[in-house]
Amino acid sequence: MFRKLLLPLLLALVAGCATPPGNMIPQPASSFPADALVTQRGVLTVRGRQFTLNGYLATSATGGQRLIVTENFGNVLADVLVKRDGTVFVIRSGRAFKREWVRRFVAADLQCIFGESPRMDCPGRQLSETHFVIERRRYKLDLQIVETRPGPQPAELFDESRKLTP
Amino acid sequence: MRRSFVIGVLLLATARFAPGEESPLQPVADPQPLLQDIQRKMSSLTSVYLEFTQERQLKLFVEPLKSEGVMLIGRPDQIRWETTSPYQSILLGNQKTVAQFERADGEWNKLKLGFPQMLKRVMEQMTLMNQGKLDALTSDFTISVSTNRSLAVLTLVPKDENVRAMLSSLEVKMQPDSSATREVVMNEPGGDLTRIVFRRERRDVKFPPGTFDQTKPLDVAAIKAAVSDVP
Repeated sequence: MFRKLLLPLLLALVAGCATPPGNMIPQPASSFPADALVTQRGVLTVRGRQFTLNGYLATSATGGQRLIVTENFGNVLADVLVKRDGTVFVIRSGRAFKREWVRRFVAADLQCIFGESPRMDCPGRQLSETHFVIERRRYKLDLQIVETRPGPQPAELFDESRKLTP
Repeated sequence: MRRSFVIGVLLLATARFAPGEESPLQPVADPQPLLQDIQRKMSSLTSVYLEFTQERQLKLFVEPLKSEGVMLIGRPDQIRWETTSPYQSILLGNQKTVAQFERADGEWNKLKLGFPQMLKRVMEQMTLMNQGKLDALTSDFTISVSTNRSLAVLTLVPKDENVRAMLSSLEVKMQPDSSATREVVMNEPGGDLTRIVFRRERRDVKFPPGTFDQTKPLDVAAIKAAVSDVP
């Protein structure tokens, strides 16, 4: 009897190691170029209310990732740099997205979708190659990648020495 | 949101590109006559159809971030601002209500707006603009005007310090007779800017039913087809 229980348990454990739980984004979107400018459109739902966002992500194989989030008419809500070693630098924040919020959530969501290695704190799902949903306790982010322009991005984008607050 | 409000200026806009020599702009001592002229010209319009290209120029990026869309105005108080590329989004408003739709996986989804009252306020102000009432502008902005032979530029500087922290100035570039706006530039303190360039203006068009429907807005392709015959 014990052996009958043990076998499925082991299989489940092995499967669990191989793939993340069903309600997690499986793994970062590795299909994107290492050097590119990626435009995103997002709908953020907080307490049942929805806000639309634009995201502009510059990626560099050597420098890391720089994400600028704006509202409909261009106001910058968040600006964050994630270095290749995972260090997060919040460059700009505001009343809507506070600095700590940008660090804890915007940077984390960025790494969930575009990071180089799988994370275990990415609750959500991937609906298509370009459509992701992240669902955390306080919010839901529905994100679509609407444009990808391959090519190297300016090195200054990934220079944390430029008026950054680590 | 006040920044969005200045988009209302666009309601005064039309978009006819007229090539001209770029001589130096000269400041106009008293902008009131020009503003009154704008009011007079806009108050007679019943509807406006515009296509636009919006360029977000961030100093850090090599190229501007572009989007395209259409803006429709219908009297007495209807507005539709639609982005068609690289994503699809529709914002609809009148004096009573506002609505926003986002397209995902081939379907339009109506959003539960986070700040409907703020958007409604923007729409109300836009309606006032469409009726040629520019009083709101002068209460919120310090306005100066400069001109040359081919261009009239209204420069609006926010009076509110908090607004200036986000928007240092707004430039409305118009035809010299103030009959049409060519582009609007929103300058930010750090040097970044957003430029909205207009084209394919149609005035006093009859929009098809559903154009401003806040439950199921008519597809933009049908609207474009309906206005395509208007000179």
